Amino acid sequence: MKDRLAESLKQSRADYTEIRVERTWSSAVAFRGRRLETATVSEDQGGFVRVLNKGCGWGIASFTSLDELPGMVRRAGELSRALRLDAPIRLADVAPQTADAVLDLDGDVRGIPLSEKKKLLDRYNAAMLAVSNAIVDTQASYRDEVSEVWYVNSEGASLYQLRPEVVVSGTAIGRRDGDIEKGLESIGLRKGWNSVQNFDDRFRVVAQRAVDLLDAPRVRGGAYPVILDNELAGVFIHEAFGHLSEADFVYENPQAREMMTLGRRFGKPVLNVGDNGAAAGLRGTLPYDDEGTPTQDTPLIKEGILVGRLHSRETAAKLGERPTGNARAISFRHPPIVRMTNTYIAPGKQGVGFDDLIGAVKLGVYACGAFGGQTMLENFSFTAGWGHMIRDGKVAELVKDVVLAGNLFQTLDRIDHIAGDFTWNQMGGGCGKGGQFPLPVTEGAPHVRIEEALIGGDV
Amino acid sequence: MIDRLLEAARDRVDNADALWRREEQTTVAFESGRLKAAGISEEAGINLRLLANGRMGVAGTTAAKPDPKELVERARASAELGETVELAFPGAAAASQPAIPTFFDHTANASLAELIRMGRLLVERLSRPDCQINVAVEREVADTEVGNTAGARGEYRATGIAVTADVTRIAGDDVLMIYDQYIGADVPTDADLEALVHSVETRLTAALTVVAPPEGALPVVFTPAGLAAVILPLEQALSGKTVLQGSSPLAGKIGEALFDERLSIEDDPLRPGRPASRPVDDECVPSRCTALVERGMVGRFVYDLETAARAKTESTGNGRRGVFGKPHIGYTNIVFRMANGGRHHPMAPASELGGGLIADIDDGLIVDDLIGVGQGNVISGAFSHPVGLAYRVQHGEITGRVKDAAVAGNAYDLLKRIGGFGADGRWLGARWSPSLLLEGVSVARR
Repeated sequence: MKDRLAESLKQSRADYTEIRVERTWSSAVAFRGRRLETATVSEDQGGFVRVLNKGCGWGIASFTSLDELPGMVRRAGELSRALRLDAPIRLADVAPQTADAVLDLDGDVRGIPLSEKKKLLDRYNAAMLAVSNAIVDTQASYRDEVSEVWYVNSEGASLYQLRPEVVVSGTAIGRRDGDIEKGLESIGLRKGWNSVQNFDDRFRVVAQRAVDLLDAPRVRGGAYPVILDNELAGVFIHEAFGHLSEADFVYENPQAREMMTLGRRFGKPVLNVGDNGAAAGLRGTLPYDDEGTPTQDTPLIKEGILVGRLHSRETAAKLGERPTGNARAISFRHPPIVRMTNTYIAPGKQGVGFDDLIGAVKLGVYACGAFGGQTMLENFSFTAGWGHMIRDGKVAELVKDVVLAGNLFQTLDRIDHIAGDFTWNQMGGGCGKGGQFPLPVTEGAPHVRIEEALIGGDV
Repeated sequence: MIDRLLEAARDRVDNADALWRREEQTTVAFESGRLKAAGISEEAGINLRLLANGRMGVAGTTAAKPDPKELVERARASAELGETVELAFPGAAAASQPAIPTFFDHTANASLAELIRMGRLLVERLSRPDCQINVAVEREVADTEVGNTAGARGEYRATGIAVTADVTRIAGDDVLMIYDQYIGADVPTDADLEALVHSVETRLTAALTVVAPPEGALPVVFTPAGLAAVILPLEQALSGKTVLQGSSPLAGKIGEALFDERLSIEDDPLRPGRPASRPVDDECVPSRCTALVERGMVGRFVYDLETAARAKTESTGNGRRGVFGKPHIGYTNIVFRMANGGRHHPMAPASELGGGLIADIDDGLIVDDLIGVGQGNVISGAFSHPVGLAYRVQHGEITGRVKDAAVAGNAYDLLKRIGGFGADGRWLGARWSPSLLLEGVSVARR
């Protein structure tokens, strides 16, 4: 394959050409309630070409038929030349890499019979249904893949990656009279069959939570000290800050750049945030991004100060900074854009625990788990899976409909206490941006306290 | 393409259906007002579903030269694990397929230069010194073939064009993003593009002043864009799937008057000029209109073949399928119909922000965008979101943009009594609706 791609590169008459080819074997099993929805095996493949000529724009082509490759290289070249630009597009230098990055398949899913996968998911689904008669509906899904990616560019990069992925998730719907509540669990790993065998308890917990929420009161909306659990703190930093640090937000926008001036204080000295595409074994990890740039641990906030951004080669060149390995495309159907990988709030002092964060809180909210989040630049919103009131320094009653929303700058600035109990959240789902959803990412965080935040609930 | 596949399947299984689709897209993208990228994409794929010994299986491929036998084998392996279902495929003479124009030559043949011209027109019209403008124009041509072993066949070509514009204005830490789109099966006229410009400019101008939000249970005008939070629970609850599974609050309530009696909503795949329109669905069931809500009463739920079989009813022609995975339920065009709209000022131009519904509002909001729609317990109808783009209305006038506010309510409660239907009915993606004035919406200051 590498030879075939190198040959097509040679034929290109453009100043810069890159070709990416992907082949993905995947299988999926899904249950809905007591019934199997689907069990199927799929094979998907295709190619992507991106071309740049001096003084011209990007020419892009994507296709499923690899026989089209030479023709597509030509057409991408024509498209690029059809766009004359006054200000040229420049790409920051990256030393071309030649490497094969083959991950351990951890029990090659291609060799496991589909019937075995169905049996496993049936077990997890049944575990949810067995918890209570109040569970009226469930969704359980299993998806695995082994994908191969070839990348070459005209600067001499030649990369091959082989990587596995498994995603297992469950939703339990509890219903009592007209009231409907939901519990959700999702695990996403850059691993194989060996790593998905022991999730029974997690699925039971999910269904139990849906039942418990039926009886729980809605949180009273208002301003509170809020402690985020590891999962929600991770989603928070991704949604509320991560997207702002993607340089394509600022690189063509002078006012945005002013807002995100390096050196600006974003939080208290206790706050450290980064994005690490090279962290071993995580779902968002990749050795090279989709422009062939090696990934790295990029500090974004250091002791409360903005110190970095996430870049593609183009945004780095525009801002006179160095590429960080954050140019990613969700598949051959899309061009790479600036994306996160594994984004984290670094742990606070070792030995500082959850109890230290809540000890001084007379009345607050402990917000846990994440149904999802959305950011609209300076404003964000996310929905916790559930919450607990904190009363007199102790965890108290379960509450529901905990929605945390606010202004990013204010909220980041109000993080005053960070525990040492860091974990990576290995969740399924993914990030959405520019029509590319769901991109595998990971978030990590310890427990985090926000001295005051607005919880919407009963308004 | 599918004939060979169905032939290969026929001898080995009870019955089968398949869909082949080829899509070509051409896109031009302007970033910060300048043309940055042009791209093409070509993709073809085939999806096969079959029943073997009464069990259902599915397989798909994007391979350029798919091997029919290999695909059939994969689908059979899938069926071995599948559930039994008494699926009845539509026959050749099931019902005549309506003739709907879905393919427009002008759109299919529009040159790169023409797409660029459209984008450039928008960039120039929207250009302002303090704003960043991004515009994308995407043209698609799709060929679809669908059929089954009972002899039904459907074949059509379709075009689509999407023109999107987003304007970002940053002043200090204040970020304002205004977005709109034109989506149609045929190219937009200059008037269509002007309407897009006007929509963005109106909302941008009204947003330049920031005012404090009100608080309490207030009248709120939800623009067609802002309506998403109120409509999404209904879309979920009206799906035959959630009804079958027992999670829909509307199950068992067909015929009940749960909504304002002036409100009707239908799913309409027969609308000319809409990309979601088609003569048959992705299971070769002929298209027809389905009344989802009829004069305030719960009408019909939407079904695909499998869900209909399990619910012992008929498909409504709402089957949708991609290359991988099995067919599932999907809406086509969701269209609001109002009887005796009322309450909008007869002289208010249709293009006015608020759709002519604000004249009698003493203190309230216009909501154009909420943050986080789709998260949480959507099907219950409850929503609580901070505003993304909203305006305060005082004594019948827009006084400015509100930023730190959250809006909450339950869609089923709010739609029981609609204060008014706007004069600004428009297409937004695949939904046609006007603004709606809803009373007693919880607004909280943040």
